[in-house]
Amino acid sequence: MSRAETGPLIRFGGPLVVAVAAIAVGYSLSVGLDGYFVYLGMSAIVAGIALLGLGVVTGSAGMISLCQLTFAAVGAWVVSGLNKAGAPGGFVVWLICGGIAAGLVGILVGLPALRLRGINLAVVTLGLAAAADLTLVQIQFPGTVDGISVERPDAFSDDRNYFWLGTIVLTVCCLLVHFLRRTRWGSGWQAVAFSERGTAAAGASVRTSKLTAFAVSAALGGVAGGLLTGQVGLAFPASFSSMQSLALYVLAVMSGVHMIDMAVFGAVLWVAVPELLKRWGVPQDWGFVIFGLLGTHALTTGGNLGTAVREIWRRRSKGAAGVELAAPPADLEVLPPGAPVLTVSGLSVSFGEVKALSNVDIAVPSNGVLGVIGPNGAGKSTLVDIISGFLPQATGVVELDGQSLNGKSPTKRARAGLRRTFQQDRVPAGLTVGSYVRFVARRRLGADEIAEALEFFGCPPARTPLRRVDVGARRLVEVVGHLLAKPKVLLLDEPAAGLPHEEHVALGLRLRQVPARFGVSVLLIEHDLDLVRSVCDTITVLDFGQVLASGPQAEVLANPEVLKAYMGETELL
Amino acid sequence: MRKIMRCVAVAAAVTLVAAGCANGSDSSSGGGSGPIVVGSVNALSGAATFPEASAAAKAVFDAANASGGVNGRQIQYKALDDKGDPAAAAAAAREVVGADNAVALVGSSSLIECEINSKYYEQQKILSIQGVGVDPSCFNSPNISPANVGPFHDMTLTLLYGSEVLKLDKICALLEIAGNTLPSYQAAIDEWSKITGKKLAYMDATVPYGGSDYTSYIVKARSAGCKAITVNPVEPDSIGQLKAATAQGWNDVTWLLLTSVYSENYAKAISNAGAGVYVPAEFYPFTDAASAQTKEWRDLMTKNNIPLTSFSQGGYLAAKYFLQVIKGIKGDINRESVTKALHDMQPISDPMVGTSYTFGTGQTHHDNTAGWPIKLMSGTNKWELAATDWLRIPKN
Amino acid sequence: MLQGALAGLAAGGLYAVLAVCLTLMSRLVRVVNFSQSATGMFGCYVAVWLSIHIGLPTWAAAVVGIVLGSALSALLGWIISTWLAEADIGTRSAVTVAVLLLLISLSFILFGNKPQPFHPLLPGPAFSVNGVVVSQVTVVTVVLSVLIALGCRALLTKTSFGLELRALSERPTTAELMGIPAKPLAVAVWAATGLLSTLVITIVAPSQSNDATSLSMLVVPASAAALLGGFRRLDLAVVGGLVLGMAQGAVAQVDSLSVVRYFLPFLVIVGLLLWSQRKEVWDVAR
Repeated sequence: MSRAETGPLIRFGGPLVVAVAAIAVGYSLSVGLDGYFVYLGMSAIVAGIALLGLGVVTGSAGMISLCQLTFAAVGAWVVSGLNKAGAPGGFVVWLICGGIAAGLVGILVGLPALRLRGINLAVVTLGLAAAADLTLVQIQFPGTVDGISVERPDAFSDDRNYFWLGTIVLTVCCLLVHFLRRTRWGSGWQAVAFSERGTAAAGASVRTSKLTAFAVSAALGGVAGGLLTGQVGLAFPASFSSMQSLALYVLAVMSGVHMIDMAVFGAVLWVAVPELLKRWGVPQDWGFVIFGLLGTHALTTGGNLGTAVREIWRRRSKGAAGVELAAPPADLEVLPPGAPVLTVSGLSVSFGEVKALSNVDIAVPSNGVLGVIGPNGAGKSTLVDIISGFLPQATGVVELDGQSLNGKSPTKRARAGLRRTFQQDRVPAGLTVGSYVRFVARRRLGADEIAEALEFFGCPPARTPLRRVDVGARRLVEVVGHLLAKPKVLLLDEPAAGLPHEEHVALGLRLRQVPARFGVSVLLIEHDLDLVRSVCDTITVLDFGQVLASGPQAEVLANPEVLKAYMGETELL
Repeated sequence: MRKIMRCVAVAAAVTLVAAGCANGSDSSSGGGSGPIVVGSVNALSGAATFPEASAAAKAVFDAANASGGVNGRQIQYKALDDKGDPAAAAAAAREVVGADNAVALVGSSSLIECEINSKYYEQQKILSIQGVGVDPSCFNSPNISPANVGPFHDMTLTLLYGSEVLKLDKICALLEIAGNTLPSYQAAIDEWSKITGKKLAYMDATVPYGGSDYTSYIVKARSAGCKAITVNPVEPDSIGQLKAATAQGWNDVTWLLLTSVYSENYAKAISNAGAGVYVPAEFYPFTDAASAQTKEWRDLMTKNNIPLTSFSQGGYLAAKYFLQVIKGIKGDINRESVTKALHDMQPISDPMVGTSYTFGTGQTHHDNTAGWPIKLMSGTNKWELAATDWLRIPKN
Repeated sequence: MLQGALAGLAAGGLYAVLAVCLTLMSRLVRVVNFSQSATGMFGCYVAVWLSIHIGLPTWAAAVVGIVLGSALSALLGWIISTWLAEADIGTRSAVTVAVLLLLISLSFILFGNKPQPFHPLLPGPAFSVNGVVVSQVTVVTVVLSVLIALGCRALLTKTSFGLELRALSERPTTAELMGIPAKPLAVAVWAATGLLSTLVITIVAPSQSNDATSLSMLVVPASAAALLGGFRRLDLAVVGGLVLGMAQGAVAQVDSLSVVRYFLPFLVIVGLLLWSQRKEVWDVAR
């Protein structure tokens, strides 16, 4: 993760080397272990693949999925069905088909649930698990009536070789997840887990991100189920009970399986805890009690075994990375503002009885920076929310470059070239600076281009993990990402919040150069008048949801009404 | 990338630990003068458990060990848990057969074990005297021969009792089908039809296993005009069904059930049994406390604090049969000689069963065809004998 | 069909009460409590254990069980409102998933998985309609569900306690500033819903099959019912529960639809979600 910005050789070669090593270890285990432990190891591998899937959906994408083994049942169904039908290709092909089928079922199930946030996915998946539980008991997996056991591939037919096949499949799945995490999908999973609004504002579809996460997770579940069928020979409903799905979810939470090594570790726990209980003569039911207690503990403390182990591993925790804006930027001629690129007219919205905005008109000139100021509660952030599409109930017209944006989703608006940043931190801590910037920019970027832009805003280098970046710097990384997307207009909602006051003007100098340097017009919402003065050609003042004044900077700031509105907020003048 | 490195480290650590464990458990294998290892695979934890069969078998072996063992060798009995989980059942078989090198499996009782492990037992050339066999594979595999009658013959018996002894007509079947059992139950019902020439008034094979509310199935059966209902339930489901009938005020229905509900617990839970619950007990009814047939078993179970149930009867009998057979072995007692002895054994009769037991070399083992009818009437909370002799399925 | 529908009404009443509890929890303490029915199951099992092994009279054992179910729920509430006071609904609910698993396994250990010899509190039929018998349990659960919903509504809208509760759930910060004791109130809500669900499960469990898993999984149809009211409206939750129970009963009359019956709660959940979420809404938090 931390080497995301290193050369392609290490980026792709490294994991491959590790994978080859893992397969070699798998082979030596398959040869060296006692027969019974080889069989237990197979169970661990099956659990590991299922956990890897859960890691994608619960860990990366932050959703609660309680039917992982139902997807495994789909995989098992397909594998035993193809086996019974004598389909060509053999076990490995069937296994892949099982994974694909489970992924498709995942999409079908996820489609209704993923539109919405919060807890609904948990309700849906638990409902599915319970229904599948009852159904599977009543109907039969193909081949069970006649006792046709699933044929393992010839080269892997005995337990030891099958275990080795299992390690190969597990390693391939790990690699798959590892590389998927680096794609746009993977960044989208991280982003959506942290903030759905942030994801949409980056032009990524929240639904696609969730759906891909859910589908990948389900597909891995399907592979696990298929592998289990090959292990036992026949598929049985008891392998896919909802209790086991719940336990797997709790295990995923407590071991932190969004980290690949922790998925493997969780799988080891999955077989080791019952095995140890057996050796100590403790009834097996205590296993789930232990999982339940540890899961509760992990959730309430917000930690998990994975992070705990990591903390011990890397004692040398470094301090947070911040912003370096001391040196003034190189001079650049500021372009004269042109025709309006973003025009907003007649914008109104009310929340219940309260009129938050009424009849607001605003125009952002091309190559210009428009400042929007106003006292607290004047409706500044609401204005940004409306323009960027997060308040579809608002009335009025928003036009970008002559095209109406009305009725378009935030994602569509972002893709059309209207970007925004947020006042609160909406930067997912799981990514590196570089991968986040790439995710937000949505276009091919050279490493130099990123480094240059980051340096311009004094941000930490691209390979820094965001969790080690302080809040002020995260906001600027967000700004850099959106600027590199080359939108037509960028709405900045108090970008300086979180920076020490003395750096505000330094930031202002840079923002002033944004139109010329990046070709992006800016609408800047700011509290700090010093910053606004140093950046904005034109200013609009909002007060109680209405435009109080609008025009060139000097004119507006001299307006007596504006002064009156700001009376009492002395720190602003 | 570093994380995958750590994966490898974890895997390596696991290898070491596992290898250590492996070495630890190797010691008990091998023949000669060491203990005779006997195993069993049981449902000991999870949603449905049958711990008594293996506990009873263990009691029998402990008693044998206390009186000197078999030909001077002690029996080491390993009862493993399958947790109701197929992978665990398969792993347990591999542990006891592969790693511990057991000579045979005795007294197992599990819902799934036969089906999952029968092939493996064939490969390993090991035989299993199941204490209580449930799924069809327990009765149609060459290497498994249960000590009990089994639910399928039991279903034929309960129907025979209902139609021939109680002279009931309009018998209906509510079948709880789990997995691949439907054809076997259908065969059992067909056998009854073949013997008596009678047909079921109505059959519903969609009754859920482990459902929460059975009212709608009861209502459906009642409106079909059923006078008697045969079910293949697990205890909680049967209790739910009887309660649903009670709540509907259906008090004149006769229940023709299977040994699966024959327990003291069940009797206590049932206050309204309609026109009576009738069961052909697979072993001589243990609730007949004064009976000479069960005395030996009863004494041993009471001494070892094992619940008196049909399961402990099955486990006890399996162990008895096994002991008797291996005591006759001349020479070394190992898997090979035990298998041969079981294949060649003479039938053993026991007062607790109506059919004598033999393993033999047959491809199927479904020859135990006698049950002792018992009944549970409303308000008694007690099982009572309903006959003075075994009820047998007539041989064609 | 009508017969089946009436037969399913008892289950419907049970779903309705649990759905009301789920709705209250979701509205007032920001949690979808997956262990709602598991706590009820646990309290109920303790009651049976007490009456058999200690020899307590049925009613006394039932009272102790109900109090214990309530206490268990309160404990969970205390844990969640102490350590997860600021957490989002997802994390808070995830804890209850772990607790669900824990309670089911613990009940296997403590009470075994053999059927519990419950003494029915309300045996037998109450009256019959067109030859279909409606049992006493049906009458009681249905009436209870309506009463509980009405009672909660009155409590929330008419009393100062209810006002404080609503203030707490809708404007937590303001409420805290006004000196409303957040944690005790939240724990009280947990205790109350724990009490209600244990009560209704204690009433219904003796009249149906009552193993730990099937009682605990009642939370699935209950959440389907609660979803009809969007986890906000009590009246719709009750209607949802009753209708779902009746629909399941009716479908069970048709052999060819037997598998559909299992999927009914799931299909209801999916259908309701599709309907209620046909427009994209952005919530403020994320």
